[in-house]
Amino acid sequence: MKVTFALLIIIFLAFSGYHLTFRHFRLPLFARIFYLTGTEFLVLGLLLGPQFLNLVDAETQKGLAPLTALLLGWIGLLFGFQFEIKMLRRFPLEFFFGAVFEGLMTLALVFIGVYLTLAICVDIPDSFMMVVAITLAAAGGCTAQTGLAFLSPDQMATRQNTVKLLRFISSIDGLIPLLVFGLCFFYHPLTGPGESWPGGLWPGILTSLGASFGLLLLFTLFISHRRFQQELILVVIGMTMLTSGLASSLNFSPLLTNFFVGFWIVNLSRDKERIYQILMTVEKPTYLLLLVFLGVCVRFDSIGLVLLALVYCLYRVFGKFLAGFLVTRLNTELRKYPGQLGFGLLAQGGLSLAILLDFQQAFSSRISTAVISFAILAVIYNEFLSYYFLERLFKKGG
Amino acid sequence: MGRYKQYIPDLKIYGITLFMLAGFAFWIKIIHIESDWQQAGLTTFSLGFILLAAYMTAQILKIAGLPLISGYIFVGILAGPHISGFLTHDMVVRLRLADDLALSFIALTAGGTLELQFLRKRGKAILINIFLQTLFAFALVFLSFFFMSNRLNLMPDLTEPQIMVLACLLGVIAVARSPSSAIAIINECRAAGVFTTTVLGVTVAIDVLIIVFFTLAMTVSEIILGACTGVDFRMVTVLTLAVAGSLGLGIVLGKGISLYISKVGHDLSLFLLFFAFSVFKASIWFNQFMEAHFAISLHLEPLLICISAGFTVQNFSKYGYIFMEAMERFALPIFVIFFSLAGASLNLDALRMTWPLAAFLFIIRTMGIFGSTWFAGILNRDPPQHRRIAWMAYITQAGVAIGLAQLAQRRFPELGDYLTTLVLAVITINQVVGPITFKIALKRAGEIKQE
Repeated sequence: MKVTFALLIIIFLAFSGYHLTFRHFRLPLFARIFYLTGTEFLVLGLLLGPQFLNLVDAETQKGLAPLTALLLGWIGLLFGFQFEIKMLRRFPLEFFFGAVFEGLMTLALVFIGVYLTLAICVDIPDSFMMVVAITLAAAGGCTAQTGLAFLSPDQMATRQNTVKLLRFISSIDGLIPLLVFGLCFFYHPLTGPGESWPGGLWPGILTSLGASFGLLLLFTLFISHRRFQQELILVVIGMTMLTSGLASSLNFSPLLTNFFVGFWIVNLSRDKERIYQILMTVEKPTYLLLLVFLGVCVRFDSIGLVLLALVYCLYRVFGKFLAGFLVTRLNTELRKYPGQLGFGLLAQGGLSLAILLDFQQAFSSRISTAVISFAILAVIYNEFLSYYFLERLFKKGG
Repeated sequence: MGRYKQYIPDLKIYGITLFMLAGFAFWIKIIHIESDWQQAGLTTFSLGFILLAAYMTAQILKIAGLPLISGYIFVGILAGPHISGFLTHDMVVRLRLADDLALSFIALTAGGTLELQFLRKRGKAILINIFLQTLFAFALVFLSFFFMSNRLNLMPDLTEPQIMVLACLLGVIAVARSPSSAIAIINECRAAGVFTTTVLGVTVAIDVLIIVFFTLAMTVSEIILGACTGVDFRMVTVLTLAVAGSLGLGIVLGKGISLYISKVGHDLSLFLLFFAFSVFKASIWFNQFMEAHFAISLHLEPLLICISAGFTVQNFSKYGYIFMEAMERFALPIFVIFFSLAGASLNLDALRMTWPLAAFLFIIRTMGIFGSTWFAGILNRDPPQHRRIAWMAYITQAGVAIGLAQLAQRRFPELGDYLTTLVLAVITINQVVGPITFKIALKRAGEIKQE
């Protein structure tokens, strides 16, 4: 019964909240940042979770796990749909270079920082440290477009090119971080250090790629006929569940597996537009549910978490600033963009959160809960910083 | 054979797809599941598998003229715990959340399908059908089971009054229908017309009335067994309140849906999914709450609430069309999940144990339905063709009948095993045969718009 009520409340709030958040809502700036980034849903999840109301306890979370897998799969598919090669080719090649380089650079910088900090300050088993560092670095490497929503139409109009580049980078810079995050799944910290990684890396990668290929083939067979809308909805839901379920059972990431499937569909299927419409129908409720589910996983039982969040946030901010700067200096075509490009890449939305939830589900333990808790706090810091630095970027450069 | 040639390319694709799905299912079954995360993955995979495999199988069976829901049920049976064991008992229980959602959603659709204008026209015919079908099905099953059990000494452990009670309960349960199956087939065939409306009206109305009949039968059974000496008026009052309360609440909620459509409008399908699920769970919670805190077993019926809500939106607002269109959007996945899980839940062990008696009851019930619809057809002056085929539309039976059997089992534990086993066995036959005969009936009535 508890599972049911938790589910009811979560869905209701996500559903109604999405209407409030995304439609006709005018508030003071601070509150707008709070609402537009969906922070209230994280707080709501926290309230529902074991730390406060305990309406969604550990057992309930287990019951909701299939829904979580479906959510992750849905987000993975949506992210895969961003990589339509035909569309991407409309942008200059240097944009693509910028996005990939920025994502990779931030990932590397955050990884080094986090790994060293964990090694020095935190008592985590060595076997888990690598997974945590990769996850946090991957989540740090992704950028969301929410920050750009705060820009006024005037600012947008006067700095059109910068906005265009920021949009492009923030929509696809999660690619490398997501792929690197996938490596965590070949390393099972609980089986002991060094046993399965890198020894088990290639078989793992091959199995996952094989499974993804098989699923893609299956998806293609399903949509090889032109189907009615209802049938297509069934196929998309069914395939997402199948893919997410298979990935989880293989101890792999539903997010990444669905990303592969989404990538192939958008590039190969003639029904891509219709499938995209179906995915978009529940896009916003999906993201808000993701926030609530993450909020549920959070536990703030130590002040140290606040500090860790601050440190993680600083690594990311530094990583973004440096990566943004290097992108605009290393590539001659991008030199016309401001060196403070990284100021516009601080918002850390959907994909980062999905990576964190994926990690929490697959490596569920006391440590992962603590990691999620400070990482989410850092996401909130980033959202608030994002507004400030975006303003500075658009005052200074462009 | 020639007419099937055009389907060969389709069949090849369906075959390859199913083969691949089965391959994945086989693979996942040999994976060593260790963690909760993997276990959850297995459940998620199973749901996806059922959804896709049932849909594909139904497409294949459709070529042979069978209704889609037969395909869904067939895959459920195959994947269920009694045949392949791909879906274990535990998993079927765990997936009940999806099942509950589907049932309320279907009830909402059932209400929305009933149009007052048509019901007014066919009101008399529907009433006559309800009366005769209830009478004939009950009387034939009751009498034949009672006399046969006594003659052949089928249940030596039971006393004569106990056999009479068992026969009485079986008779009442024989009256129950499956509105969900009816809706699914009508939806699939886009059937419309006098015959379809009458069948739907009778099926939904019996679904409402069966609760009343069953409560009466329970009271009579208690009197026969000496557990009480007369009609319990408190129980009758509570029952009336429950039915009236459910219908009333449905009207209020239906108005709420209309308000949502007029004021908000967007994401209606999602809203309705959420609504259906909430109604189902909230009424169960309310019933438990009333029993626990006030010792009152005032059972609000979620299905009645949903039927009434759907009926209100369809007939007392101007948003009936929008409402039905939104319901249709998610109807297919809902039907597939619901009927596949229903198939997986069918108790083949019960059928194996009692098949001769179950087959006998099936035949008797079908004869009762045939007789009653024939007479009703004559009284209503229906076309001869409708008279001949009407019985085929009323065979399906599902969840409500199982629910009633379980209720009776709790009240009369000494009869429970016999009753539940027999009911489950008969339902298995009805649920396999019923959809096929219903589709044939719609076809012969000439009311199928799309196949």
